[in-house]
Amino acid sequence: MSATSIPTRKADPDRSGEPAGRSSDPSADPSVEKAASPTRARRSLAKRVAGSLEMRMLLLALAIGIALSLLSPYFLTKANVFNLLDQSVVVGLVAIGMTFVILTGGIDLSVGSVAGLSGIVLGLALREFPIPVAIAMAVGAGALIGLFSGILIARFGLAAFVVTLGVMAIARSLAYILSGQTAISGMPPELSNLVFASFAGIPANVLFLGAMYLLAWAYLTYTKGGRTIYAIGSNKEAARAAGLSTLFYSVLPYVVSGAFAAIAITFSTAQLLSADPLAGNLLELDAIAAVVIGGASLYGGRGSILGTLIGVLIMVMIRNGLNLLGVSPFWQGSAIGGIIILALLVERLVSARTSRHA
Amino acid sequence: MQPTALPSVAGAHSEAVGADGEALLVAQGVTKSFGGTLALCDAQLTLRGGQIHALLGANGAGKSTLSKILGGHHRASSGQVLLRGEAVDFRSTREAMDAGVSIVMQETSLAPDLSVLENVFLPELGRPGRLSLSRLRQRGEHILDELGVAASLSLDVEVARLSAAQRQLVEIAKALAGDAGLIIFDEPTTSLSPGEVEHLFDIMGALRDSGRALGFVSHRLEEVFAICDRVTVLREGATVGDDIDVAALDQNALIRLMVGRDLGEIYGADERREVDTAAAPAFSVRGLRALPEVRDVSFQVRPGEILGLGGLVGAGRSEAVEAIFGLRARQRGEMTLDGRRVAFRKPVEAMRAGVGLVPEDRRTQNIVPDLSVRENLLLAHTGARRRPGLGYRARRARIAELFDALDLPIARVDDPSMLDFSGGQQQKIIIARWLLLEPRLLILDEPTKGVDIGTRQAIYRILRDIGATGVAIVVVSSDFEELLGVADRVVVVSDGVSIADLPSDALDEEKLTLLAAPRTSMARTTALLERLAEEHGGAAFWVLPDQTGLVCLNAVVANPAAAPGFAAGEAAQFTDTRVPSAFAAGDPDAAPAFVGEPDGTLATVVVPVTNRRGHDMGRIGVIVPGNGDAARAARIVADIHHLHAPSRRVA
Repeated sequence: MSATSIPTRKADPDRSGEPAGRSSDPSADPSVEKAASPTRARRSLAKRVAGSLEMRMLLLALAIGIALSLLSPYFLTKANVFNLLDQSVVVGLVAIGMTFVILTGGIDLSVGSVAGLSGIVLGLALREFPIPVAIAMAVGAGALIGLFSGILIARFGLAAFVVTLGVMAIARSLAYILSGQTAISGMPPELSNLVFASFAGIPANVLFLGAMYLLAWAYLTYTKGGRTIYAIGSNKEAARAAGLSTLFYSVLPYVVSGAFAAIAITFSTAQLLSADPLAGNLLELDAIAAVVIGGASLYGGRGSILGTLIGVLIMVMIRNGLNLLGVSPFWQGSAIGGIIILALLVERLVSARTSRHA
Repeated sequence: MQPTALPSVAGAHSEAVGADGEALLVAQGVTKSFGGTLALCDAQLTLRGGQIHALLGANGAGKSTLSKILGGHHRASSGQVLLRGEAVDFRSTREAMDAGVSIVMQETSLAPDLSVLENVFLPELGRPGRLSLSRLRQRGEHILDELGVAASLSLDVEVARLSAAQRQLVEIAKALAGDAGLIIFDEPTTSLSPGEVEHLFDIMGALRDSGRALGFVSHRLEEVFAICDRVTVLREGATVGDDIDVAALDQNALIRLMVGRDLGEIYGADERREVDTAAAPAFSVRGLRALPEVRDVSFQVRPGEILGLGGLVGAGRSEAVEAIFGLRARQRGEMTLDGRRVAFRKPVEAMRAGVGLVPEDRRTQNIVPDLSVRENLLLAHTGARRRPGLGYRARRARIAELFDALDLPIARVDDPSMLDFSGGQQQKIIIARWLLLEPRLLILDEPTKGVDIGTRQAIYRILRDIGATGVAIVVVSSDFEELLGVADRVVVVSDGVSIADLPSDALDEEKLTLLAAPRTSMARTTALLERLAEEHGGAAFWVLPDQTGLVCLNAVVANPAAAPGFAAGEAAQFTDTRVPSAFAAGDPDAAPAFVGEPDGTLATVVVPVTNRRGHDMGRIGVIVPGNGDAARAARIVADIHHLHAPSRRVA
């Protein structure tokens, strides 16, 4: 039970007799107004920066970038920057789908295996079909697996964690069976144009990544479907009561996630001209980490595609930097895991402070 | 006040129980703010051993907040609480319990999958050391025995399978298991039938007599007069009536204290318009079934009319309106909107047809916490929209208009979260969400729950205003005073069946309370009516009369020639019944006897009935053809008195 603010203790029957009462309008309270106004303008900019998670994470990304460029002269070279962007493509694409899923309050543990399976589908299809058809078949396979998981989760109410864990095992096993336990090679060399072609000096895969983020951002911000995904993650019951199509938009993110896993592996396959049934192993962890570093809440409803992009860059930069600094690969896991947890801990403390001030 | 003659129940700490009249707990200047809003502002409360102390206030006055502070659920922003003279500041319910303070909550705090025994001793599980299950069982049996419910409540049954009343008993047992010397009951009667309420009051009386201090949070005046010794009244977070002797108060004085103004003013009684009763209904539903809660609900509402759906919490009203709106599966039910047959399978269909529903629970069914105020406001707009874009811009002007009309600050429309608004403002935003769609029929489920009185008044005004534009409105409410104040007509739902459809003018809160009682609690009376009608070859009825008319709770007709001219759930003027003479003023103290109608065809005996507290329960009457004789009348009176003889049986 809560009441509106009560400016005076002695409730004057005449005043409270006014329709709706003056007390419902905080700006009508002169004491509040006076206290806030002198510093309001200056505070609001700082507050907006501190209040926006993306801004905070962008600052963190810049800090890491500066630190690494001071530690390693090679870090800021053109070759390394392109290298960084190139390394961002696969995990970046998977993280788009993962953002959709996590925004609804779900999780998709199967993306790594789905990527592996889709890569095998691509490799097999390329033996029979032209490149565009083969890619469409691979992406279709990924989307279909996502549809399967999504229906089990949204229609039958099974836990996303468990369903995608099961699908993860099934997809990996199918990848081994379809591939005959070996990598598929001997692909048409034109496939590598996906990666090595460039426009205005920017590689095609990086351009594609940027375009996808732009598209995903526009979808999540400006369309009914995008806002429905947020609403479902934030309060599914309320979304349903307001007439939003909660079932459809609860399934869709898994389809998107499966499709993006397949698209990601297509780029990776194009680079190597080989499809390995083991490909994409542990990709889900990198993608989830990127989304979470980007500020999404695993309970759903909170997060943004821009944040995810920053999260991806932070992940890739750290890994790249550790390589440049010659840190043993065995230690890199500890370093990355530690940095993720530290970033989230700091974030948690900062956001708790700002929201208490709000 | 009675002395502590009874031994203290379940062996409470002797020091936990203050002597009669001694202040056990004193709260002074308690202030509590949530975010920017003050829920309590300098509240006082004094609880004494051996007394039941009512904490009274309208919805949103801060009663629950104060009791939750005392029980350790919240911490006060400032102020002090003295328990047996020592300052305390409970940081958790555990600390409160250790000090002997327990709350029996509105929404029960039980673990549904655990057994009664486990729930009663749940706090024990958190204590260090080993548990002796057999000793707990002994203590549990002892407690249930002391409560007088050992026969009806098993320690081994899962709590999920208990009724609301039984769960409350478990809560009370849990408080006693913690040796509570002070128990606060937070609105314990909202989901209980009258019989269950009486049983609860018996238990509370016994607890008082054992020397415990009892707090009783309520907004129902008649309950305060029935059970309480003293009363503290809260209004808008402040104590406006501090520790008053109930005997020194009358109902009107109490209402003025609670509300700070006349009730008529809140509900805009003088602004009420006449509804065109000849108009075709804007919406009707017949034979609605959505199992398990909704079994047979029918009602209709005309354009511009405000229809109240009344009943106890859990009677199936929320489920009925959700089923109408397509949020819940229906098994049966014909619906028409503006004369056309409709059958909404999901909310979006209802919305596009012009139906809006503000569901009951603001936090779980309405607010999307991560979306901005504007997006929350536009959520139903988005849901009803056919195109993929958002189309927010087109609604900009209308939002400004609505914010103005609802007295909401337009400057805050782009605030990132609705949660910083007060409950009242949140509710207005949610109502605005549906007004944006310009519905033909707007259904509001408990629209003023947890809302301060100023906002309540504003919400009632909004409802009248949109009613004036020809919108049909259905209000679901468990607050009978609100229902009678705001609605033109009331349909009462009990156990999932709509059982009465009456104009508000024909009703008062007591009649509504009896009408709303679950049918199961009426089973004995119904059996009696059936027996009387059969045995005497006529008809039997149970009515609540006033000066000129009556409301019929139940009627059984065995012989159509003796039909009374009114049926269960109907209101009638005495002169419109077939036995007007029976209700004509006679000597109220005379023994009941047959009164014949002038034409000599029918004779009626009418017997006043009271419950064992002496509370007026209306009249039971029997109509027989021809003339009844005195012997027959005496038999009927004896039968009726036998039914209402005092008994320890739980209804």
